[in-house]
Amino acid sequence: MEQLVPEKGKISPFLVFFLLHTMQVGIGVLGFQRIIAKYAGYDAWISVLVTGLSIHIILWMMYKIGETTNGDMLSAHTFVFGKKLGKILTFPFIFYFTLVAVTILRTFIEVIQVWMFPDLNTFWYSLAYCILAIYIIFGGFRTVAGIAFFGVILPLYLNFIFLFTLPYTDFKNLLPIFDHSVKDLLMSGYKMSLTYLGYEILLFLYPYIKDPQRSKKWAHLGILYTTFLYTLITIITFAYFSEGQLQKHVWPTLTMWKAVHMPFVERFEYIGIANWNIIILPNFCIALWCASRLLKRVVHLKQKKGILLISFACLIAINFFKTREQINKLGDYTGLIAFFLNFGYIPFLFCLVLLVKKVKKK
Amino acid sequence: MKKVQLWSLIIIMIFATGCVEKEILDDVNLETAAGYDYIDKKVRGSALVPVFLPDKTVHNTVFTASSNLSRDFLRDIQRQSSDPIVTGSLEVVLFGEKMAKKGIVDIIDAFQRDASIGTDIYLAVTEGPSKKILEGNYSKRGNAIFISNLIRQNIETKDVPKTNLHLFLSSYYQKGKTAYLPTIRSIGKNKIEISGISLFKGDRVVDTLPAKQMFFFKLLVDNYSKGTFKVDMKTEKAAVESIRSKFKMRLVSRKPLTVGINIKIRAILIEYSGAKVTTKEIKEIEKSLNETIERECTKLIKRFQEKGIDPVGLGHFVKSRTRKFDFKTWEQTGYSNLKVNVKSDVMITESGVIE
Repeated sequence: MEQLVPEKGKISPFLVFFLLHTMQVGIGVLGFQRIIAKYAGYDAWISVLVTGLSIHIILWMMYKIGETTNGDMLSAHTFVFGKKLGKILTFPFIFYFTLVAVTILRTFIEVIQVWMFPDLNTFWYSLAYCILAIYIIFGGFRTVAGIAFFGVILPLYLNFIFLFTLPYTDFKNLLPIFDHSVKDLLMSGYKMSLTYLGYEILLFLYPYIKDPQRSKKWAHLGILYTTFLYTLITIITFAYFSEGQLQKHVWPTLTMWKAVHMPFVERFEYIGIANWNIIILPNFCIALWCASRLLKRVVHLKQKKGILLISFACLIAINFFKTREQINKLGDYTGLIAFFLNFGYIPFLFCLVLLVKKVKKK
Repeated sequence: MKKVQLWSLIIIMIFATGCVEKEILDDVNLETAAGYDYIDKKVRGSALVPVFLPDKTVHNTVFTASSNLSRDFLRDIQRQSSDPIVTGSLEVVLFGEKMAKKGIVDIIDAFQRDASIGTDIYLAVTEGPSKKILEGNYSKRGNAIFISNLIRQNIETKDVPKTNLHLFLSSYYQKGKTAYLPTIRSIGKNKIEISGISLFKGDRVVDTLPAKQMFFFKLLVDNYSKGTFKVDMKTEKAAVESIRSKFKMRLVSRKPLTVGINIKIRAILIEYSGAKVTTKEIKEIEKSLNETIERECTKLIKRFQEKGIDPVGLGHFVKSRTRKFDFKTWEQTGYSNLKVNVKSDVMITESGVIE
């Protein structure tokens, strides 16, 4: 088998924990509670838990694909469809990751514009952000993984901030449990799966993991941690807001932070949003990295040139989304594509890989 | 190559910081309190802006403007102000009596929408126009600080139930619960007091509780509360301070729907008119206190049921114990037919440093 990545470019298995977790936690955390509560009311935390646990199956499939083909998405595609068709099928993923990058950055800038600086210029901010991301990616994948590590560790304290809202919570809101039909729960689970997205990057960075077998444990832990965090945030949010009130808020998490009062800071959400920069940065970098990496693998464009090209495309695309509605649509469509990719295409590919493996053996 | 990247990054960061509007504290007017009144079919908004004088005292300036379209009175006020007025440090919002009877949710919408306004600001209803309250001169630190401290102090140590913008909205949007706010009135020149609790139905005030019932009200709506209460017995009088109270609701039976409310109070004796306090007297005080609490709380709940309001959140409670709860029948017949048994358990633990 060909060696895709030189040994010194690989990362330690435990970093997979941070890569997957950071990619899952992004701008969605600020506002997912309202969307899931729309369908299953205050039973939606069950959907959060169940959806989170179901991801482990997809993760297991992705590892199986990786193990069988010993490579990334393109290797899997080549393994199943042959060289030419494989490349053609991998090509759309470049657009997918570019779209993800644009969505991440634009939704975050929207938060800044609504909460802090209404007159912040989208283009200039994106430019600064892109240059930072390019700088990081030029350092290689190991640097990106390092940023992912810090993107989880540094904002860790934010989790404790939710404790400040406890005096205003009423856990009676969550009762009675199972007051909604299974259909409602499924619908809310579908909406929740959009917030969980991001773990599909495993298929693309698989060749970079030093000892994939040992990384399995970390990957599952990473996703478990995300599930735990999301469930906790959901339950606290539901206890904090009454049901009608929650539907009014686009970013319930930020509204909750408003209740935080400390001697040195009047309003905590400003610190929270500023901190969110660090959480968003690895997401944006990983998306850009995946896109440029694929570009290199598919059309043999040097990755450095690829990054410049893709960030240029991002910078242009980002200016087209101006209003809340447009940004919402952007998020919805990206989520929809990602959903079919994760819960439709990956299981499909998994079956094909197994099938081809059997045929080849014979 | 590395150097070029680094420098371009630094340069862009420097330039990018100049891209947003600055708000320097010395060059803006901070709106610290707002008042809304309904006068001549128009909403009159008043904004209180403190001016900090060199001798460390605060001069209270009140700007007013009225318009048919209520909430954006700030724009009109800007024309009277030398510096731009910003809302970030709003502490208190007052609603005049008539405004509160007319409905206040349209106005509150603006506070919810504005990202710069906190959720822990205090709302209150005033007896008479709110502008009059804002225009007084209560403390050297400014009226807004005074009013908000007045409310906070009374929530933390006395009989005012926990309240702020978030809790008000939370009850307002909660099905099976109605909201309430403290009422403020002016007593003489430059003096104000909390005179009771305004009870809302939807976003309109329909009833007001006097100050002497606030103790019982707080027992019913707050899980943990403090407060003082006077007990009249046959011959003697006593004053008791509640240290801790615990409030618990139970669904006793479904047919007929009965809710049991258990109030547990740990209290200390702070005043007694008789000669000596012995175990016998303490038992007597406890008994009389239990009776008063049960009687007054039952009376309060009866009153709520008659007015069709539910600040205790009984509807919400019953819903949390019932699958497929139907709020329509609850509102029509369920609530008014609900039986509530209040049971109180007072325990006086200490009687001060003398016997």
